[in-house]
Amino acid sequence: MEPEVRIEGLTYRYRGQQKPALKGVDLEVAEGEFVVIMGPSGAGKSTLCVSLNGLIPNFFRGKMEGEVRVGGRSTREGKVGEFAQEVGLVFQDFEAQLFSTNVALEVAFGPENFKVERGEMIERVEKMLGQVHLEGFEKRTPATLSGGQKQRLAIASVLAIEPRILCLDEPTTDLDPVGKLGIFKIAEDLKDRDDVTLIVVEHETEETLDADRIIVLRDGEIVADRPAREVLRDVELLQQSSVMPLQVTRFFHEMGLWQGQLPLTPQEGAAEFRRRGWRVNQGRHGRLVGADAKREEGYGEPVIEVEGLTHRYPNGVVALEGVDLTVRKGEFLAVLGQNGSGKTTLVKHFNGLLKPTEGTVRVGEGETREQGLRQLGQSVGYVFQNPDHQIFADTVADEVAFGPKIRGMEEGDIKERVEEALAAVGLEGRGEEDPFGLTKGERQRVAVASVLSVRPEVLILDEPTTGLDYAEQRSMMDLVKGLNEAGSTIIVVTHTMWVVAEYAHRAAVVREGKVSLQGTVREVFAEEVELHDAALRAPHIVSMGNELGYPVLSVEEMLEVTEEKA
Amino acid sequence: MDPSLYLDKDTFVHRLDPRTKMFLLLGMFALPFVFLNPLYVLAVLALVLFFGYLAQCLANLRRIWFILFMIILVTPTLWAIVGSGRTPLFLFVEREALLYGFTAAQRIVITVIAGMIFLSTTRNEEVAIGLVRLGIPYRFAFAVSTALRLVPTIVATGLTIGQAQRSRGLDLDSGNIISRIRKHLPLLVPVFVTTVRSTNVFSMALESKGFGAGSGRTFYLHVAMGRRDVLVLAIFVLLLAGCIALRVAGYGGLEGFTR
Repeated sequence: MEPEVRIEGLTYRYRGQQKPALKGVDLEVAEGEFVVIMGPSGAGKSTLCVSLNGLIPNFFRGKMEGEVRVGGRSTREGKVGEFAQEVGLVFQDFEAQLFSTNVALEVAFGPENFKVERGEMIERVEKMLGQVHLEGFEKRTPATLSGGQKQRLAIASVLAIEPRILCLDEPTTDLDPVGKLGIFKIAEDLKDRDDVTLIVVEHETEETLDADRIIVLRDGEIVADRPAREVLRDVELLQQSSVMPLQVTRFFHEMGLWQGQLPLTPQEGAAEFRRRGWRVNQGRHGRLVGADAKREEGYGEPVIEVEGLTHRYPNGVVALEGVDLTVRKGEFLAVLGQNGSGKTTLVKHFNGLLKPTEGTVRVGEGETREQGLRQLGQSVGYVFQNPDHQIFADTVADEVAFGPKIRGMEEGDIKERVEEALAAVGLEGRGEEDPFGLTKGERQRVAVASVLSVRPEVLILDEPTTGLDYAEQRSMMDLVKGLNEAGSTIIVVTHTMWVVAEYAHRAAVVREGKVSLQGTVREVFAEEVELHDAALRAPHIVSMGNELGYPVLSVEEMLEVTEEKA
Repeated sequence: MDPSLYLDKDTFVHRLDPRTKMFLLLGMFALPFVFLNPLYVLAVLALVLFFGYLAQCLANLRRIWFILFMIILVTPTLWAIVGSGRTPLFLFVEREALLYGFTAAQRIVITVIAGMIFLSTTRNEEVAIGLVRLGIPYRFAFAVSTALRLVPTIVATGLTIGQAQRSRGLDLDSGNIISRIRKHLPLLVPVFVTTVRSTNVFSMALESKGFGAGSGRTFYLHVAMGRRDVLVLAIFVLLLAGCIALRVAGYGGLEGFTR
């Protein structure tokens, strides 16, 4: 039987690029399959997606060799619009692909293009919204939806054309854990249907367990194309491809188990741990907990003190209610919570972007109410999530010099600070480069450097690892860790739980405008039920440790406390 | 904050055919120019406000009050200085020039409010269908409605970027005009870059949803001219004709005003 997708010798080079984005890719996907594509940033994953519905070669300019056939027809032979009925494509940036004034119209746009009768269209809209669990949202404006709801709407708007193949390009990257779960639920439903072929680009290894196959791309070439569980057990391959291996699997791999025996999930891991008669060394675990306590005592005086903070937006929505929180010098605090929980509203009070409606926020000597944004910016630096929302200069050095320059510092001082900041983020000697030519990970570093150059005491980072691959995430967080060790107080707002577990010291969980849980990361992650209520999930290795009765935070910690035989 | 003006209500104005609302909008652009006397123009303004009241969208005035306030302040001042008339009032200002200033201000205010009512009661999609039904190609109609959509999106992006740059110490409120304009560079460049980037994704998403796949299309929204539309248009045409007749008969002018 003819496969749904047949790619033969596909090589593609974007115009103006030296290196091809894809090199000699051969791939077949059969009807009803669920295929996951993984790999480092710049491996060609998105390029592969847009080649499925003919955006390559018909929309992008570049040089294409080889052949892509969808349902037996070459993508060279038709317009993109014609392939829309075969391949539904959902992009990572869900904001940019929603444009209608209400949810129902958004879903109807595709069918309208294909001249579907109005009666049937109304039925389809209803059916699709049911499929993505957005019933009752018909009249809502897409702008008022949460991130997860927007992405689900984007999927519904493509499903409404009834394509046989659905391709999702990193659908969960920008979502909080609940939003992610919603997307995976939809994928699960679709997977059970034989008439829909699912191709998903995904970073989160924990969510690929159900796939039929995993394809690993590196430098534009396929380096692995095997059943999902087989690829997931190949820890070394994943690490070489900047994909985070499953933590439980990596633990057993490091313990020296043979590849075929490796457990994948926390439950499997705990069972295997017990079956082998391994034990947790209480003394060593006690030392880990002791180290936490010692670190707690070592912090300096309070730098941010929040008392009874309530924030009401002009439209009357209460975003925060009675929040108390103290951040001391030298802390590394993670602020957790789902989108809309109020965590970003909370940290925006720390640098004076927002003023309390009730209660007080003190930074350093005085209340934020009495200090201006510029004065506060001197002690509290804020790195926004998207580096493209702040980069504007022609060179990296000018960008980093912006903060000191606007504060009227002298030429010599500025130069020194720029060099110091660039060195801190690992971009020394690259001051003359054009920031827009850098990778996302490097632009993120420029954004951090441009805040560091003011030498703030406290550094707030909003989602510093979003959109980066595993290797980039690690190097970004190692950088932040280094800054913390050099004396900076760090506050990170993030959805990435393993980052919290491995890097942060303390965590505060924000839920419906209140801090529902705070303490050392180990204490917070031991409360799996409460986390679940706040729509958060502990990383796999933490869950496995909890299951065994000993909260650990990383694979390294688990390795340290494990004893093979008494 | 939702940066779009549209208010999802079910009023008699909302239910009008988008074509009717477009004609009314054009008519409301013309009507205040029939008269020169500010009192007559005031009556037109009252009419527009009454219409906005029926459409339950005067709440949106709060979002544009500053623009309206500036127009009311600046326009009469300007005309008082550059216009001329017969009756001296004080210094070099003549009564007629000042009165005409009020007329000019009201004309702009009426145009802005009429536009606001239109956008508050008409979805972008309805604008597109309306244009299509008037014989304009869908691609062009879609471009118009996309332009309407782009404005609030850019405003929202600008707000986020403003926060990011203010956090870095950018202060837009001090300095002279030239240095202020220069200071907007850190805002404008990221807004431009982000907008171009998301527009690119937007056009890919459009193609991927079959935009322009074939000729013709169907519409989810049901749009048709009804008895109500005919009645409203008839009343408005009569009103416009009446006003013109009144003016021809010599009412509503402004004696002695010269530019």
